[in-house]
Amino acid sequence: MKGIGKRVTVAFLSIVALLTASGVISLFELSNLSYDTDAILSASSRDMEISKNLLRSVDDHRRAIIDIAIFGKEDKSACRKASEELDSQISSVRDNAPMVLQDCLDSLSMYSARLRSLTENYSSTETVVIDSLTVEVRKVDGRRWYVEVYEPSHDRFVEQIKRYTTLSHNQIAPRAAQLSKNAYRSVAPVLISLLVMIAIVLMFYFFVYIYGVKPILRINKALADHLSFKLPYKAKAEMIDEIKELNDNIENLINISKSNKKQGEDAI
Amino acid sequence: MRFSVILRYMGAVMLCLSAFMAVSAGISLVSDDTGFYPLLLSALLTLLLGIFPMIFVQKADNITTKEGFVIVVGSWVLSCVVGMFPYLIWGGEFSLVNAWFESVSGFTTTGASILTNIEALPQGLLFWRSATCWIGGAGVVMFALLILPSLGTNKMALSGIELSSLAKDNYRYRTQMVVRILLAVYIGLTLVTILLLKVSGMRWFDALNHAMSACATGGFSTKNASVGFYDSPLIEWILIVAMFLSSLHFGLIFSTFTRKANNIFRSEVVRVYVAIIVGATLFIATSLYFADIYPNIFTSLRQSVFQVVSLITTTGFATADTNLWTPFAVVILIILSIICGCAGSTAGGAKVDRVLLYAKVLVARLRGQQHPNAVIRIRLDGILQEERQVNTVTLFLTTYFVLILLGTLTSTLFGLDLLTAFSSSVAFIGNVGPGFGEAGSMDNYAELPSLLKVQGSVLMLMGRLEIFGFIQFLFIRMWR
Repeated sequence: MKGIGKRVTVAFLSIVALLTASGVISLFELSNLSYDTDAILSASSRDMEISKNLLRSVDDHRRAIIDIAIFGKEDKSACRKASEELDSQISSVRDNAPMVLQDCLDSLSMYSARLRSLTENYSSTETVVIDSLTVEVRKVDGRRWYVEVYEPSHDRFVEQIKRYTTLSHNQIAPRAAQLSKNAYRSVAPVLISLLVMIAIVLMFYFFVYIYGVKPILRINKALADHLSFKLPYKAKAEMIDEIKELNDNIENLINISKSNKKQGEDAI
Repeated sequence: MRFSVILRYMGAVMLCLSAFMAVSAGISLVSDDTGFYPLLLSALLTLLLGIFPMIFVQKADNITTKEGFVIVVGSWVLSCVVGMFPYLIWGGEFSLVNAWFESVSGFTTTGASILTNIEALPQGLLFWRSATCWIGGAGVVMFALLILPSLGTNKMALSGIELSSLAKDNYRYRTQMVVRILLAVYIGLTLVTILLLKVSGMRWFDALNHAMSACATGGFSTKNASVGFYDSPLIEWILIVAMFLSSLHFGLIFSTFTRKANNIFRSEVVRVYVAIIVGATLFIATSLYFADIYPNIFTSLRQSVFQVVSLITTTGFATADTNLWTPFAVVILIILSIICGCAGSTAGGAKVDRVLLYAKVLVARLRGQQHPNAVIRIRLDGILQEERQVNTVTLFLTTYFVLILLGTLTSTLFGLDLLTAFSSSVAFIGNVGPGFGEAGSMDNYAELPSLLKVQGSVLMLMGRLEIFGFIQFLFIRMWR
């Protein structure tokens, strides 16, 4: 490569190239990080939403059962509707759930089916065989049925939903750990590029000083010494390209002026 | 001393490293793994570091010995610094100290690792690990000498510093020819090993990595269980031959292929070296057989020969957990880790040439006492050894043992047991890799305290730069 201008331009452009490359890679890693953060946050809020909906549906079911068993309401449609909602929610969760949650979802399905069958089989009256000749139809004690039969199943279902919530949140922990690793990866390129940049800027300063600044200072001093004190012109420095040409030209000029002066003196 | 010239030649070395990083990035791109961006950015950074001095500094006609010395040692240190960029950017198990240790271990062909799960590494990084070994095997400056023809007459000055004086003895060629021979033998040996390993059933990628590692006598494997993963006698024998040839003087290998007189069959050093290998193998196999460690003598021999060749060549591949072997076998293996391969090869350690010369000095001394007026001359491979050379070897071996003892002392200060402390110091300075105890052939250096990892890396560099090279570099300003 020839020309001090070219050298400085190429050096400057390479610094810009390094900055751009490290910036692009950091941006890429940062966008990955942002994508991962969004994914974790949305997974967390989705899990919370699912748990909330499941608990609400179970609670709806319980309210419907209280209406039927304790207050003697005949219409079971609200209860059926709550059961259907539970089933649909569980099946929609199952489609996207990882393998580790499948067992928990199986248990949820089982408890949902149990609640449904309890509701369907519940009747406000029961036929009691007193002896081989007497059969009596009695009114069922709904409150007692609710407390002894329904409530334990309901509580187990709620426990299972809580277990699902815990398990699904545990799934997020390794992803969060991975996230911190990715955060390191988006910072590391910038840090290392920065260190290399410092080394390159120091080199840039060093080269510009020894090949640009120092020779000009020496030429200037040598020229000043020559003009003021008639000392022989000699600039001692590492010179390249145009600065070397400048030094050579000054030397030539001084030589020409010397020879012209000598010719003039000879002529006189 | 002209810093600009030094920077230019160190830049040439950086360009070579950048090329290898780019190849590693290519491998990551093809295998679609997470190593691509770390390797690509590292390649760009290294390229820039290398190319920057070349923008300003013009080619120097001749470099002084002092400048050449700084170029060679500085290039080694800078290569280790640059070599840790891909590890640091990739993250995982690589903290700052771990990345430095892994990088130094690679370039110095030690093959000691801090990784607990090597197989978790992306393929590009695995290749880069092996590449550091391969570059370090020939010498980082040697690569630059071959690849960059513009270095011209300066090749002589640089290769003269890169090669130890013992290594130069067997090269009966001009210096420029020496560089070519070294790299021709090295590359040829690697290519043949790759092909043989592929034929014996390894995947191309594994064959490439193991061949590079074996020919550099490095010992980095792509598997957690090292070569033991394959459990194949054929693969083991191919690697044994590759490791053995790589630990011989490359000039002698070249002479053997070109049917010159000074070949490996006539070399006194090689004869002693082979005798040590055969003797150690037989002793260890017998010990293992009688201790009922292996069911039959053939298995004992197979395991024994692999471990003996792996340690004496300073490679460090493993097929067995040597911690389970008899104390007798362990002591022999530690002695082999001190002796190591021949000068002028990729092997590290004290070198069998020095040990043989030392033994001859000892015999000469005894004879001198018996016959005080006798003029006793010491020859090695037919070459008369001057007193200066003999003194250098004696001083080298003394310093070598002092450093091992210092390493052991500081390691025990950090709570390491004596066997682990001593064997790991031997393994570091000899560029062997695995030690014994907690640093056994099936273990790693992950649990070592950070300060000991740094100490280990300094020992590795000292071993690779033949001790005095590294020490002199530290006092370069006082060097007149």
